[in-house]
Amino acid sequence: MTPPRRKGVGPLILIAPAAVLLGVFLVLPYLNIVVMSFRMPGQGTPYGPGYTIGNYTKFFADGFYLFQVANTLWIGLLTTAICLVVGFPVAWQLARGAMRFRALAYGLVLSPLLVGIVIRSYGWTILLGNNGLVNRTLTGMGLIDHPLPLMYNALGIVIALVHVFLPFMILPIMAGIQGVDPSLESAARSLGASRFTAFRRIVLPLCTPGIQAGCILVFVLSLSAYVTPSLIGGLRVKTMAVTVVDALIDTFQWPWGSALALMLSVTGALCVVIFARLTRMKWKVARP
Amino acid sequence: MKRPVLTLYCLLVYAFLLAPILVVVGASFNAGNFLTFPPQGLSLRWYVTFFHNDVFMRAIRTSLWVAAVATVISGVIGTMAALYYVQHAGRWKETVRVAMLAPLLLPEVLTAIALLFFVYAIGIGTTTMIGMVAGHVLITLPFVFINVSASLESFDPSWDMAARSLGADRLTRFRRIMLPLIKPGVIGGALFAFIISFDTFTISFMLKGIGTSTLPIQLFDYLRTNFTPEAAAVSTVSIVLTLVVVIVSEKVLGLRIHRF
Amino acid sequence: MTEVSIERLTKTFGSARAVDGISIRIADGEFISLLGPSGCGKTTTLKMIAGFEEASEGAIRFDGKDVVNVPAEKRDIGMVFQNYALFPHMTVDQNLAFGLEMRKIAKPEMLSRIAKVLDMVQLGGYSDRYPNQLSGGQQQRVALARALVIEPKILLLDEPLANLDAKLREEMRVFIRDLQRRVGITTVYVTHDQAEAMTMSDRVVVMFGGRIAQIGAPSDIYERPENLEVAQFVGQVNLVKGTVTGVAEAGRCRVASVFGEIAVDSRANHAPGNSVTLSLRPEAIELKPAGQGGAQGKVTARYYSGSIIDYRIALDSGETLHVQTFPNIRIAEGDRVSVHAPADGFWLLGAAK
Ligand SMILES: Nc1ncnc2c1ncn2[C@@H]1O[C@H](COP(=O)(O)OP(=O)(O)OP(=O)(O)O)[C@@H](O)[C@H]1O
Ligand SMILES: [Mg+2]
Repeated sequence: MTPPRRKGVGPLILIAPAAVLLGVFLVLPYLNIVVMSFRMPGQGTPYGPGYTIGNYTKFFADGFYLFQVANTLWIGLLTTAICLVVGFPVAWQLARGAMRFRALAYGLVLSPLLVGIVIRSYGWTILLGNNGLVNRTLTGMGLIDHPLPLMYNALGIVIALVHVFLPFMILPIMAGIQGVDPSLESAARSLGASRFTAFRRIVLPLCTPGIQAGCILVFVLSLSAYVTPSLIGGLRVKTMAVTVVDALIDTFQWPWGSALALMLSVTGALCVVIFARLTRMKWKVARP
Repeated sequence: MKRPVLTLYCLLVYAFLLAPILVVVGASFNAGNFLTFPPQGLSLRWYVTFFHNDVFMRAIRTSLWVAAVATVISGVIGTMAALYYVQHAGRWKETVRVAMLAPLLLPEVLTAIALLFFVYAIGIGTTTMIGMVAGHVLITLPFVFINVSASLESFDPSWDMAARSLGADRLTRFRRIMLPLIKPGVIGGALFAFIISFDTFTISFMLKGIGTSTLPIQLFDYLRTNFTPEAAAVSTVSIVLTLVVVIVSEKVLGLRIHRF
Repeated sequence: MTEVSIERLTKTFGSARAVDGISIRIADGEFISLLGPSGCGKTTTLKMIAGFEEASEGAIRFDGKDVVNVPAEKRDIGMVFQNYALFPHMTVDQNLAFGLEMRKIAKPEMLSRIAKVLDMVQLGGYSDRYPNQLSGGQQQRVALARALVIEPKILLLDEPLANLDAKLREEMRVFIRDLQRRVGITTVYVTHDQAEAMTMSDRVVVMFGGRIAQIGAPSDIYERPENLEVAQFVGQVNLVKGTVTGVAEAGRCRVASVFGEIAVDSRANHAPGNSVTLSLRPEAIELKPAGQGGAQGKVTARYYSGSIIDYRIALDSGETLHVQTFPNIRIAEGDRVSVHAPADGFWLLGAAK
């Protein structure tokens, strides 16, 4: 039963404000930035007169940026994979475990979302620095002589990114698992499937949409992460998002920055599409 | 405990999730000048420093103001859009959903940059707060939309029909039946919007004007050059503020967040 | 005091005709059931009467006044939904008060009316409960009370008992029927359960595929079904082939079959020589030990179900019969039997339209 649908323009008033907002502050800016990426670089101004494809040829000609994009994608993939491996058992426990403290556990998973990304990254600098808690503890226990290089490298960035985005992996997967009727598993087992087979053949395919949603969300978020790589990577390891933002803030190269940002986003989107194809996903937007 | 290995594993993950937060809170009570371990005694001196730091206090006020304005705007717009989506969108349903979630799926960095160029292109620049508020509304809108439409989907249309058969007109049905029943979704969505807006970085970073830094930006700037535990005190206050908002809405408004 | 008349009512969804030109006159105070298989258009019809769906064609009149342009909230109907549709955020009292508030009834009268109706549905003392604190049957009665307390012109019920267990369902049937008699309200009741329709209604409307197959009193529908489809839908039936040998009198034909030549009731006159199908209800048949006249056959199966026993009989002539008897006769599987069917147990079916 659907509620009676009113004809005419009446209901359109409901969607109009959102449409205007998205049209003006999302669609127009995106069109604008695409145009901007074809502008001439300016001298002393953010951009010059006339148009060029030079920003893109520079990107492809200069191996440094290709390398940096590849590096960023690699960090994103690693973060996504680790989040999946780390998060799945937790999601399972939350969805299926007969826990007395389910509400508390759920709160624990949610709690990082309540704390800003700057603060969480800051926490990791305290933990991972050369004089940080981890290294101090290990040296104090006599396990190591020199501090382990945990910060200012890709490892530190991935650790912190996993922490920052883990809830975004756990929550959709948990929702996916909750959507699978536990009696399906029992049914499979009554038909002779082992616990593992029942999981692989019945539960896993049914909660794939949740897993896909989680992976896409984490991947996209980690590509565009700025704060964490910038605080943990410092000047030594830069991801693309950091390079782009710095190019804009410090050197005011708008056309060049636009082209870089668009290239990063397009390659990211391509990765998502390939991932979706590979996992044979019916193309639907990730449901967070 | 039925599966000790799984349980232990999960506890480790929870510890991992909490560790950096607890470390920050702990560090804020460090009496020393630097973040040293073990801490050089306990003290509240960094809180005192913080409360006398005009820059941080102004940043907190800015953050709260932007978050409040953005929450109200995206709460209203998002709720209306969710109503349209669930009840009237018909075959446009999927399109509406994708459009409403777009700000969440597009890379925030790109959105922030695009918005920055746009406010300059239309000549308002970052001298007004328009760009910043618009950005915050954009990124919080999906959360309101998700929460409200989830609660609308669980709204049984026969409740509306029952109210109609009892003689209630459109407005009365909205006020007396629909609104109370979707209230948890609206409040949950607004709460999310507030927290996201209060904590967001990239959008504010690109769109801030002179003297309109939000707390996360001020903190970020500070962290680039300073290593005193004052940053930890600032962080702790920020965390406490968020918790207060959550707890107050829970107690006062009877909140039940849909999904997350 | 409301008479409902439905004329050539049609509802199309795209090219599908969910309801296809039905006409019914419902007398004031009458209890009428819409009976039919799933998807035959019962709910759609009810929704059009209530005003939740617009009719594509045709008219609906309450006491002669066309209500097509009257919105649902102005039609003054009471409706009970299959899932009850109780407002979950309101107590029983508040649910009941809602309709009265819409009618701007003064507080003292409101309270006394609510108390009276709650008493009627035997739920005094449950006023402050929320719907989720009530059992299914209690929720069902609150839904009924909420519809009745506004003293509507017409009561519409859409499979209100479908979610209840068998025992409660039977109790509620009697309960609703008695209540309706006392209040004397014009009632349309939708169900796909033939027993429910028969026990409760003054008249039953049998629908198939959006059209009315037959309207009549329960006994009419059961004993004198319009066609094979109706006969099969309202109960179990044996089909016996026969040939018309002559016309006995108006509405009666003489038909020859394995049970000999008998005079059978019929709605239409049939010419001698026509092949026809007779219906024979299983409970009209009498079984006797073999060799006592009638058609001869053998018991192929016997199913005991307490108040009755079901037999399957293979007649020597090749037909199979389904027979229900009281459990006081002792016939076992494999026994040979004589099968007797009284002439008034037969009914000459018309061809299905
Ligand atoms: N909103 C709609 N859009 C399209 N088709 C519809 C709609 N509502 C009902 N139908 C179709 O109309 C027909 C009649 O539906 P209706 O709900 O009236 O059946 P019903 O007799 O009440 O069945 P049931 O016993 O299963 O409730 C069905 O074939 C159904 O698929
Ligand atoms: Mg129905």
